Amino acid sequence: MDALLTKTKPAIESNKDSNQPKLKISGSEVLLRSLVEEGVDKIFGYPGGAIMPVYDALYHYVDKLNHILVRHEQGAIHAAQGYARVTGRPGVVFATSGPGATNLVTGLADALIDSTPVVCITGQVFAHLLGTDAFQETDVVNTTIPVTKWNIQVTEAKDIADAVAKAFYIACSGRPGPVLVDITKNAQNEMIEEAEYHRCEGIRTYRPKPVMQQSQVDAAAALINEAKRPYILAGQDILLSGATKELKEFSEKTGIPVACTLLGLGSFPTDHPNYVGFLGMHGNYGPNLNTNECDVLIGIGMRFDDRVTGNVSKYARQARVIHIEIDKAEIHKIIKAEVAVHADAKEALQALIKKCKPNQHKEWIDRFTKLNDLEYEKVTTKEFNPSGVLTMAEVVHHISNFTNGEAVVVTDVGQHQMTTSRYYKFKNPRTCVTSGGAGTMGFALPAAMGAKLGVPEKEVIAVIGDGGYQMTVQELGTIMQYKIPVKIVVLNNNFLGMVRQWQQLFHGKRYSCTEMQNPDFVKIAEAYSIPARKVENREDLQGAIKEMLAAKTPYFLEAVVGKEDNVFPMVPAGQGVADVLLEAPKAGQ
Amino acid sequence: MKQEFTLEIHSDNNFSVLNRIVNILNRRRVRIKKLIAHEDESDFKRGVAVVLLFTTADMMEKVKHQLEKLIEVENAVYYEGSSEYCELSSKHSEV
Repeated sequence: MDALLTKTKPAIESNKDSNQPKLKISGSEVLLRSLVEEGVDKIFGYPGGAIMPVYDALYHYVDKLNHILVRHEQGAIHAAQGYARVTGRPGVVFATSGPGATNLVTGLADALIDSTPVVCITGQVFAHLLGTDAFQETDVVNTTIPVTKWNIQVTEAKDIADAVAKAFYIACSGRPGPVLVDITKNAQNEMIEEAEYHRCEGIRTYRPKPVMQQSQVDAAAALINEAKRPYILAGQDILLSGATKELKEFSEKTGIPVACTLLGLGSFPTDHPNYVGFLGMHGNYGPNLNTNECDVLIGIGMRFDDRVTGNVSKYARQARVIHIEIDKAEIHKIIKAEVAVHADAKEALQALIKKCKPNQHKEWIDRFTKLNDLEYEKVTTKEFNPSGVLTMAEVVHHISNFTNGEAVVVTDVGQHQMTTSRYYKFKNPRTCVTSGGAGTMGFALPAAMGAKLGVPEKEVIAVIGDGGYQMTVQELGTIMQYKIPVKIVVLNNNFLGMVRQWQQLFHGKRYSCTEMQNPDFVKIAEAYSIPARKVENREDLQGAIKEMLAAKTPYFLEAVVGKEDNVFPMVPAGQGVADVLLEAPKAGQ
Repeated sequence: MKQEFTLEIHSDNNFSVLNRIVNILNRRRVRIKKLIAHEDESDFKRGVAVVLLFTTADMMEKVKHQLEKLIEVENAVYYEGSSEYCELSSKHSEV
């Protein structure tokens, strides 16, 4: 993980004598100084013509800013996302104009929907060329409006520092998200007097943190205190607001069972007696079925995504809904709440802990346990003890056991993602990193790379399908160059497995364009000097996982799993959560 | 049931603000019948957009909150019908 550039001192030292005329520095150096002032220490990027002045200035900043040269801009932004998700600090990206910038769009969309703070700096053509279809000119600001929390184009060096300050403030405050600062080349080159950097502390039109209304807390507490079958759905804002301790205390005081959304995994320990499982289309049986049995449903820092609700008209119709949410636009957007608490999760939970009475709901929790036991009997037992080829579930189960649920696990999108979410026993916050709302295949490898650079002391394991792996496989080059000891597990079924599962269940087994002929993944890893192993037999699996975990270097493990295995439980598209299936419907059903 | 609403949005007068506003309305497929936008005469750093929309009351409320999420938008208020639009637009065209 060593930067390969020669470390040198900054070219210009600050002038401390106020009587002397101030030194002039370039817009590019203003940018880098601003990043240093914001506490940035890592940048994921890829140079090009329109951002060359910034990279030239960066040459003198390698002792302060560690630049990771990725192999594609999409890799840069996913790496920045992974870094941000595990550290809580914003990920920073550099890219050039035109295709460099447009290659960020998928990552921006992913970061926006999954509330990940990322600051992207893009180079742009000279200001006088804007709108002329100049070489590598793309209207990046208008292109990225729908996929950023905020963006801005800067055409003069004097505006760079303020734009960067605003960018960091906006990215990290309120509901976090990605921002983009597009800087024209003339602004990067322009020399201006150096000035003191001021971090942004407020924007006139932006109110990131709502003022919590005590009346809303009182109304929520009244519902909770009367409830016979209350049920907490824990989302990502538990993690973002740092409310894991408060959630545990609230659940323990009130005796209320907790289920986690995909992005909420890690917000509540999976080994806690009040934890009842993972929510959603491929979530656990109990949490899905009992959504339609609870009397008070408490959504905390989650947005009632359609993968959680299934058919909204069949969702929790019997329940009185409390929605605790920092983003006002999410309240009543999908599910009408009887009581809405517009606040961040931590603040709301602290207030509710004071207002709610101690209680126990043992019989209610037992109803989850019975349903989850049924799932274990019908689904899990078969997946953990199969007779034939390896299953995704047993691979993940062993990884979970060998790491004691304490690794950072980064997943891509598809069957392996749902299997990992179900079977990896997350215990700690910020250990589950996945592409949730956007469902971006190709996310995991670069995100795992960024995550490992963010928390080098932790074991970081990327669990990926064979399809998604090949979308950003070029980042093996980055892993090789910087010796990033991330562990890569590809669950290879030679299919786009989730699409194939839908084709099997809902499209008459017409496997249209989902079977894949794959390359020799081990040889590819080895070509990048990454130790690699392929496992096909059950007797080799545990040894291979142990070997992977013992490695001090990056390591690649391919597990060949069943080609036509399915992920259950499953709420079929368009169905309600109570229609969750434990197995494929019989023919004619 | 869909009906006319007049939406008045106060914001900073930055590049792209109008695009951001229209983008949210387009994404929700809210029909824009008329639109007027202008700088604040006393402070060019601020601006106002007045839009006559045809949508449901539920959608109007949701769109209002989405617009108020925009960093540069100070507030968005709406009124039923087009009379407010006529009043506001004539006031602004006098300016």
